[in-house]
Amino acid sequence: MTPMRGTIAGCGVGLRAPHIRAMQDERPPIPWLEVHSENYYVEGGPALTALMRLRADYPLSVHGVGMSLGSTDPLDRVHLAKLRRLIERIEPALVSEHLCWSGVGGRALNDLLPLPYTEEALAHVCARVAEVQDFLGRELLMENVSTYLAFADSTIPEWEFVAAVAHRTGCNLLCDVNNIYVNAVNHGFDADAYLQALPPHAIAEIHLAGFDATGPCLVDTHGAPVAPDVWALYRRALAHFGPVPTLIEWDTDIPPLATLLAEAATAQSMLDTGDALAA
Amino acid sequence: MPSLRELQLDFADALFAGDSARPPFATIPDERVAERIAVYRRALFANYGNALGATYPVVRKLVGAAFFSAAVEAFVRDHPPTSGDLNVYGDAFPAFLDRYPHAAGLPYLGDVARLEWAQDEANRAAAADTTPEQVLAMLAAIAPERLASIRLELAQSCRFVTSRFPVLRIWRSNQESDGGGERVSLDEGGDALLIRREATGITIERIAAAEHTWLASVAAAAPLGIALDRVQATGDPFDFAAVLRARIGDGSIVGVNTS
Repeated sequence: MTPMRGTIAGCGVGLRAPHIRAMQDERPPIPWLEVHSENYYVEGGPALTALMRLRADYPLSVHGVGMSLGSTDPLDRVHLAKLRRLIERIEPALVSEHLCWSGVGGRALNDLLPLPYTEEALAHVCARVAEVQDFLGRELLMENVSTYLAFADSTIPEWEFVAAVAHRTGCNLLCDVNNIYVNAVNHGFDADAYLQALPPHAIAEIHLAGFDATGPCLVDTHGAPVAPDVWALYRRALAHFGPVPTLIEWDTDIPPLATLLAEAATAQSMLDTGDALAA
Repeated sequence: MPSLRELQLDFADALFAGDSARPPFATIPDERVAERIAVYRRALFANYGNALGATYPVVRKLVGAAFFSAAVEAFVRDHPPTSGDLNVYGDAFPAFLDRYPHAAGLPYLGDVARLEWAQDEANRAAAADTTPEQVLAMLAAIAPERLASIRLELAQSCRFVTSRFPVLRIWRSNQESDGGGERVSLDEGGDALLIRREATGITIERIAAAEHTWLASVAAAAPLGIALDRVQATGDPFDFAAVLRARIGDGSIVGVNTS
């Protein structure tokens, strides 16, 4: 079992490079931080040094964007070894990745690409999740991704596919509420039915972010405030799942830290209200 | 129905094809498949561009955002990344720029890129775990007759860039903190640069030709005697004792290998 420390609860924020200095200087009372694992696949330097300092004050979650778990290429053992090394260094409370693929044929396609929802893809991705969990000696959280097209050959509704990955591998789920909303609009399904299909006991984290609506479909840019419809869906998710630890992600057009913290405070107030209702 | 592998290979090809190309797999909505693939293509190439732009900010500033994006796209097609970690992508970009026909009017561009890549690598390298005092003690413990055969160890962050252009002045005059506008003449001479990381950040300094010859030999794990022979062969003046003291003192030389 790789080490872990701290407890993740409440609403945290994704730590991004432009905010590292302010986070170190101001130490805002945010309950936890999430980092992209690949940004710390280094042997030394200022990024890792800053993270090692922040780790003393904040529980951490590491969130991978590059493992390509759904790819039919072999798993990248170097990538996996770097993740394990990072986990040993910072002892994160949570380790997560995406239900997608990011490269094939030896070519890295560094984006979250869509899987067909078929029995073949389900068996493949479950075997890979199990392999990584065995290698790391701990559970992964797997996140549902935004998609901009659906494959005609898909035979399984997305929500059943996501739930089956958790059921078959014992992994937990990182429920990205914004991604559910984006996909519900893009593909014309009922976001609430999706939420209801997920097993509440497996939901270990929720992501919230903003999308872009200026193109031919909604695009998950993480470059805007959380949309009102997504806040509403988030409240219904909390009613269904309970007060799950939540994260605000903002990756493009990154605003001042205060804006990000205000988004987190909004989510925190919804989490607190949910607690009161549940009590 | 295509296998998962066939579908992924076709999808990857579609991402690298033209905007109007129609992929061989069926999607919903099918009539909009090219438009939706284009959404993925834009996001993917934006990711590549952002990653390389973070590594090569001065190259990007020198050529402008549109030129940079076009160069990145051509580079990705020539040298697609092989790692899910884009932070380590781009070591071949300087050599690509040397040959990129549209950059022929900027012959120093590749060397500016080399200087930026060296800083990027230095920022990711492991820190040394020895102090100058410890290194001096290691050296003092070696019998004089064995000195020629030892190998000095450079800090992991040390990198060298040489250029026939004044690449450091070009780089410095394009920093945000610099007022900019300073004119650099390409005829003012080339640079041999040592790039390394100290606790306070990256340092870049010009080094004399003799010191470069010596340090590059040390970096290539040459025994001390052979490294000094190489310097002597150049005929350049070289105060070995002073340079050694300085490079141990500033943390460039971090160990002694006697095996």
